Amino acid sequence: MREMLQKANGRVTASMLVMGLGQILYKQWAKGLLFLAVQLGYIYYLVTIGARDLFGFFTLGSVESNPWYGIEGDNSVVMLIMGVLAIIVTILYIAIYISNVKDVYATQKRVEAGGRHKRFREELAELLDVKFYKTVLFVPVIGVCVFNILPVVFMILVAFTNYGGEIVPPALVDWVGFENFKKILALGEFAPTFFKILGWNFVWAILSTAINYFGGLSLALLLNKKCVKGKVFWRAFPILAYAIPGFITLLGFKFMFSYGGPINHYITAAGHQAIGFLDLDAKWSARIIGLLVNAWISIPSSMLLATGILSNAEQSQYEAARLDGAGAFQQFRYLTLPFVVFSTTPVLISQFIGNFNNFGIFYFLRGGLYIDGYFLASDTDLLINWLYNLSIDNNYYAIGAAISLIIFIITSAISLVVYVSSPAYRQEETYK
Amino acid sequence: MMKKSDIRLGRAFDTTVTYLLLLLVAFVFFFPCLWLILASFSSSGSIYSFRGFFPSGYSTESFKKLFTDTAMYDYPKWFGNSLFIATMSCIFGTLLTILTAYCMSRFRFKSRKALMKTTLVLGMFPSFMGMTAVYLLMTQFNFINNHWGLILIYTAGAPLGYMVQKGFFDSIPSSIDEAARLDGATNFQVFCKIHLPLSMPMIVYTALTSFTWPWSDYILPKLLLKTKDTWTVAVGLMSLGETEFSRFAAGSIFIAVPIVILYLFLAKHLISGNVAGAVKE
Amino acid sequence: MPRNISALIAHILVLAALLTTFGCMSLKRDDSEGQSKFNGELERNVTLRILENDTAKEKGYFKELLDAFNAAYAEYGIVAVDANMDQYTDLEQDGPYGYGPDVLYQANDALMKYTDGKHIQPIPVEQLDCYRQISEEAWNAYTVQVNGENYVFGVPVNIQGPLLYYRKDLLPENWETQWDRDKNGVPDMTEYWTELYAYSKEIREKSNGAKFGYMKSLFDTYFSSGFLFSYGGYVFGQGGTDTSDIGFSAGEARRGAHVLRQLASAMNQDCIDDTVTVNAYSMLGNGTYFATMTTPDVYTLFVDELAKEYMRTQDLSEADAYAKAEENLVAADIPKLPASGDLEDRDGETVDSVMMGGINGYAVSAYTKAPNAALAFVDFATSFEMISRRNELLGVAPARADVAEKVGGLSETINANLEAGHIAVMPSTRAVAQIWTPTQTFFSDLAKDPFRLPDEQKYLSDEALQKGLETVDEQIYSAIHTLN
Repeated sequence: MREMLQKANGRVTASMLVMGLGQILYKQWAKGLLFLAVQLGYIYYLVTIGARDLFGFFTLGSVESNPWYGIEGDNSVVMLIMGVLAIIVTILYIAIYISNVKDVYATQKRVEAGGRHKRFREELAELLDVKFYKTVLFVPVIGVCVFNILPVVFMILVAFTNYGGEIVPPALVDWVGFENFKKILALGEFAPTFFKILGWNFVWAILSTAINYFGGLSLALLLNKKCVKGKVFWRAFPILAYAIPGFITLLGFKFMFSYGGPINHYITAAGHQAIGFLDLDAKWSARIIGLLVNAWISIPSSMLLATGILSNAEQSQYEAARLDGAGAFQQFRYLTLPFVVFSTTPVLISQFIGNFNNFGIFYFLRGGLYIDGYFLASDTDLLINWLYNLSIDNNYYAIGAAISLIIFIITSAISLVVYVSSPAYRQEETYK
Repeated sequence: MMKKSDIRLGRAFDTTVTYLLLLLVAFVFFFPCLWLILASFSSSGSIYSFRGFFPSGYSTESFKKLFTDTAMYDYPKWFGNSLFIATMSCIFGTLLTILTAYCMSRFRFKSRKALMKTTLVLGMFPSFMGMTAVYLLMTQFNFINNHWGLILIYTAGAPLGYMVQKGFFDSIPSSIDEAARLDGATNFQVFCKIHLPLSMPMIVYTALTSFTWPWSDYILPKLLLKTKDTWTVAVGLMSLGETEFSRFAAGSIFIAVPIVILYLFLAKHLISGNVAGAVKE
Repeated sequence: MPRNISALIAHILVLAALLTTFGCMSLKRDDSEGQSKFNGELERNVTLRILENDTAKEKGYFKELLDAFNAAYAEYGIVAVDANMDQYTDLEQDGPYGYGPDVLYQANDALMKYTDGKHIQPIPVEQLDCYRQISEEAWNAYTVQVNGENYVFGVPVNIQGPLLYYRKDLLPENWETQWDRDKNGVPDMTEYWTELYAYSKEIREKSNGAKFGYMKSLFDTYFSSGFLFSYGGYVFGQGGTDTSDIGFSAGEARRGAHVLRQLASAMNQDCIDDTVTVNAYSMLGNGTYFATMTTPDVYTLFVDELAKEYMRTQDLSEADAYAKAEENLVAADIPKLPASGDLEDRDGETVDSVMMGGINGYAVSAYTKAPNAALAFVDFATSFEMISRRNELLGVAPARADVAEKVGGLSETINANLEAGHIAVMPSTRAVAQIWTPTQTFFSDLAKDPFRLPDEQKYLSDEALQKGLETVDEQIYSAIHTLN
């Protein structure tokens, strides 16, 4: 950096002042004009909406709108999100600006070393070869920034505002600092419920991930057996289960286990009393049904996944193992399992996360209950369901955001540690 | 030493057990679907006019109604909307996911590990908390009541699930790439000519999942599609009244059809990848 | 080096200058006072998007209404169309961004939720044709005080209150001698909960548990909370405005809870979850249930199922079956309760039932481009002709007194009930959203109690019932206030 600032020539300075100017002076027309277009585009953005949005981020609006009289005021939440967007755009601009300066400096050094500047076509070719990853990752990174990072940042920021309750647009929202966190900590009922639910949430996530993972793997192995004829046919049954949307399945299972459902129909027909599988006294039976229903929904997709991965296992190793007299179980234990575990640890983690945050299952199966000893939650609720009760149902967005931030920090720390110490992360090259 | 007949016996036993297990699996997965199919042929609309698992009367009325009685519930239209959204999201999403996974597996660059950790952590955030933000964003871009808005979101979200595919690419020996690179192929060519054909099973898996997600999603379309003629099947079905259960069941059966067809169409690729044969030793 | 840095600084300065100039410019706003929107001048050549409920569409009423309105206002170029959105769509979410309908038909608690954010327009109701025909109680459901002044935000169309539905042909043959002690020609089991309870037990015993008298999903707050209200319970104090005073345990509400528990004991476990709600149509149709409680707007669903049953079992033509079904299916006013709160007490004093109800009506979105045309639509849709037609096609209880009088029967009774305070209208505040989960939990706990093993039953004493209700109040209070 320092070296660049000292040795840079006038053309680099030109690019620092006006993006692309240095490149144009080096006669790299196409590239120079592209950089120039970025700068002009950014200026246009600032003039039209960017400047307004950046300011709005800090003020969150000053004029309350009043639709009764047709007064169009400020919508604080929109200002917040557009402000975040403006910041992302600005960061992007700075990144392009830096690469613009670096680029022209690289050309300077190349020319000073007696070379010539790269032609546009050559640079394009590079994008398909050495820098192929840049070309490819550009679109996903932008998409993820706008549609995934932006909402997360938005919600994190909301945790520091008073958005929610009575204060929803058109009322103006304000920054309140750590007020929401203080409120949560001061609430006596909060901690006991939080830890009770957190405990069950971990039990649920671990059990359901294990059941789904090994269920899917065994199913894939079963279907991969040489003696199975008509694999496409047999595999179609789990696929059928996979093809029916989850919410329909959940509603169906809820009905099956209800008092008037078919299962209780047979129980009462046999002269027994109907069983409340999912009613308010049914803590563990509801939890177990949740696990089983979740397995029914998720095993097909983990089977598909395991099938895809197994097809990549090297058959020659199995030949060798068989020649050495290894039994089917030993082959599984020493060849299949390590291979599958290696290529699916990341999946295991993302499945764990998915299950940890599995909103639908108990929302559909057993929603609308507050159980004694829980603060506005039931004994099957996961953290995400509780969060939903507190924030969306009750309209307390800021509090909800603060709680989800706390949950988020805990869970992501745990999963990061697991991930970073997993073989899939540390020994990426094992099978290469 | 085992006798030949013992081995044969053992194998027959193994086969029998395997098939018994398969029958059990088929039953477990098919049974609720069968119930749904039976329900769709129920002559009464209500969910409770059943004797145990069997409806008290049968008719094909609900299927007829599903496709002809479109004044209130325009199922064919919703089906078309869903098909369009899911197909587009599937094509773009699969492309982006596979490319992302390939890059993360084959290239080593500065921000790689940071990117990997970020994507992992992003998934931990409770998704519905971000829904407000997505909704506001879409109102600002005028993407409400617009199918492309949904496609954009699904496509943008798809690469976040690259982990599975990266794990797959990690298990393809790099000796294959190096051989090709020595022959003068660029990375782009290596990807197209070597990795793509090898990763057919993974592409099929990706395509299936990235089709299924938008196809059966309820929350996003409910949030972003306001007028009934833009609705998807999932949103439409959920709006059916409580006495329309057999129509709901019939609609649910038809939801499954495209995915099953897609599966049958792609099934042979799911198991055909053969890395071992591609390695030149 | 200085040259480079100054170039960098120059670049930043230019952008910063642009940023401040245009950023500050956006802060200056034109906050001129707005004008009242209803000036009586109809906007010309506009399209109004109307949100109606699904039943009105299904039965063809909505199309008639649109056609009639469009014909009447063709000269102004005003066209009303179906907003084609979900009937429960949330104006708070869609309106500010320009995606909401212009006129909405929803329940009063849904509509009044929008007044907080000024999403619906206060309406000059005195100008409307229906103004004098609608009772004060109905208007009250749509009135809110803002800065000391009363504003009306909606126009009542029909009153939703629960009714008792029963099958006349399932009455005992000897009812006139055995079940009409007050000799008024009306079976006692449809007049008094004590009699209905006794008859229910009798049916269940005689049929060996295969048939039932009164059946209802008891967890449903909408129908069960009325039993608490009848004995002095309420939702919020100060006429539904004071959300810090929650009254499900107030007065003698525990007696109502006791009644509910007794009713559950004469049913089966289907009353614990929503089984009965969904199967009541066909179960009443095939004679498994004698009676249930629900709202007036589903009358036709019962008739459909009953007629189907007649066609299947008695070989009647469709027209005959429907005629017979309409003859035998009776929707009646809610029976009276025993003052003591004990359904075994068949000879004691009685009290009137107070049931939770609502008033559906029209409101005008504050985001409409054509408020005057929208108001004209509301006026048109609440005219005598249209409300009469609505009643004919949908069988709802009209809020217009003149129509109620014309059609008589239940519509009149429901109107009278509203005026007599026998319908507790849902409070018009956002906090109502918090009452459902706690009450549903309690009611399903209560409904399950008779089916628990004897030593596990929770609600055998008055104290236990009172404590259960107080827990409900506490939970609602927490949900509304602890996080605020």
